Amino acid sequence: MSVTVLDAAAAALEARRGGPAVAVVARIPGEEGGPAARILVREDGTVTGTLGDGELDAAGVALGRAALEHGGARTVTVQAGGREHLLYAEAHLPPEELLIVGAGHIAVPLARLGVMLGYRVTVLDDREEFATPDRFPAEATVRRMDFSDPFRDVPLGRRTHVLLVTRAHKYDYDCLYRLMHADVQPRYIGMIGSRRRVRAAFQALLDAGVARERLASVRAPVGLDIGAETPEEIAVSIAAELIQLRRGDAVHAREDGDAIPAARPLHRVERVLDRLLPQEPRHG
Amino acid sequence: MDDTGVLNAVLEAARAGRTVALATVVRTRGSTPRHAGSKMLIDPEVGLIGTIGGGCGEADVIDAARSVIETGSARLVKVMLTDPVDSWSPAVCGGVMEVLVEPVPGKAVV
Repeated sequence: MSVTVLDAAAAALEARRGGPAVAVVARIPGEEGGPAARILVREDGTVTGTLGDGELDAAGVALGRAALEHGGARTVTVQAGGREHLLYAEAHLPPEELLIVGAGHIAVPLARLGVMLGYRVTVLDDREEFATPDRFPAEATVRRMDFSDPFRDVPLGRRTHVLLVTRAHKYDYDCLYRLMHADVQPRYIGMIGSRRRVRAAFQALLDAGVARERLASVRAPVGLDIGAETPEEIAVSIAAELIQLRRGDAVHAREDGDAIPAARPLHRVERVLDRLLPQEPRHG
Repeated sequence: MDDTGVLNAVLEAARAGRTVALATVVRTRGSTPRHAGSKMLIDPEVGLIGTIGGGCGEADVIDAARSVIETGSARLVKVMLTDPVDSWSPAVCGGVMEVLVEPVPGKAVV
C-alpha cells in the first residue's frame, strides 16, 4: 500500500491531536524531479508503505524511529541500487502538556501563553474561587484538587511540563514530594519562589529523603532571567524557558550552522541548589 | 500560523478539489530563517499558508510550486540564501535550504 502526501498529512494531524505518535519518512526526489515515496513509522513499531526497495525501507524505519525518539526532523543519505538517496523523516507527536499548579496571578497569563504556544494546558487549584474556567482561555482545562494528592486526576507523562506557582512553600513541598516519587519523571518541573522559600522547600524535601540528584532537576528560580516583575512578565520569562527547552533538541539536531546556544538550564539549576544548600564537605 | 495549520489547509484544499503545492524544508546548512520540518502551502486560489522564512528564499519556492502543480511532479529546490549583504537582496541570511516542493492533487469528496 502506498502512502500519499494526504495520508501522511492525515496521520500527522491525528498524532498532533493526541493520537498515536507517527514519523513520516520520505524518499526525496532530486532537483530533476520525481515522486516522493513515503512510509509511516509508528511508536508501536507498525510500518505502512514502502520506499520502493528493501534496503531503503530498513534505513527509513531506523530514521523514523530516531525521529520519534528525539522529535523534530532529520535526514540521511543512503546508497541503494547503485545510487544515492536522500531520506527525510519528521516526527509528529501528541501535544505537550503544560500543568500549572496554583490558579493565581501568574497562572492567568501563563495559561494564555501556553495555549498560544501549542501546549495542552491544565490549571489546578484547591480554591473554588480561583479554579474557575472563566478566568482562563477556553482551550485550557481548569480543575479543583486537594494538595494532599494534587495530581490524582491528571496524567503525568514524559511530555508534561509542571509549573508550581502555588501560594505557599508548603504546597510546593506537597507537589514536589509527589512528583519526586512519580513513576514517570515529567519533562520539566519549575517552581516559583524567592530564594528563601525555594531553599525551605528543598531543605524539607532533602530531609524527607528525596535524592539530591532528583531535586536538582527542578528549575528554581523559574524562567529565563529577563528582569521580569509583573505576573505577565514572569509568565513570558517562563514561556521563554519552555521554548528554550523545546527547541534545544532541534538545535542539536541541526547539521551545523549558526545555531543558537542550546538549552542548558539543568546546569544552572544544579548550581542554584548547591548555592542554596551546599553539600556537607566530605571528611576522610 | 504553525505547521498544524498548514497540514489542516492541505486536507481542506484536497477536499475542496483544489490542486496545491506543499513545500517542506528538509535540510538546512548555515543560517536559515526556519529549520527542517517547516512547511508552507502554496494554494493558487487562496495564497500562501504558513511560512518557510518569508522574503529569505520563499520566492524561489513559489516559482517552483507553479511548475510542480503544472507538471504534477515533486522536486527538491535548493534555496541559496547567500547573496552579498550589499546587494540589498532579501536572500542574505547566509545559509542553504533544501525544500521539497510537491503537488497535492485535489480529489473528489469521499
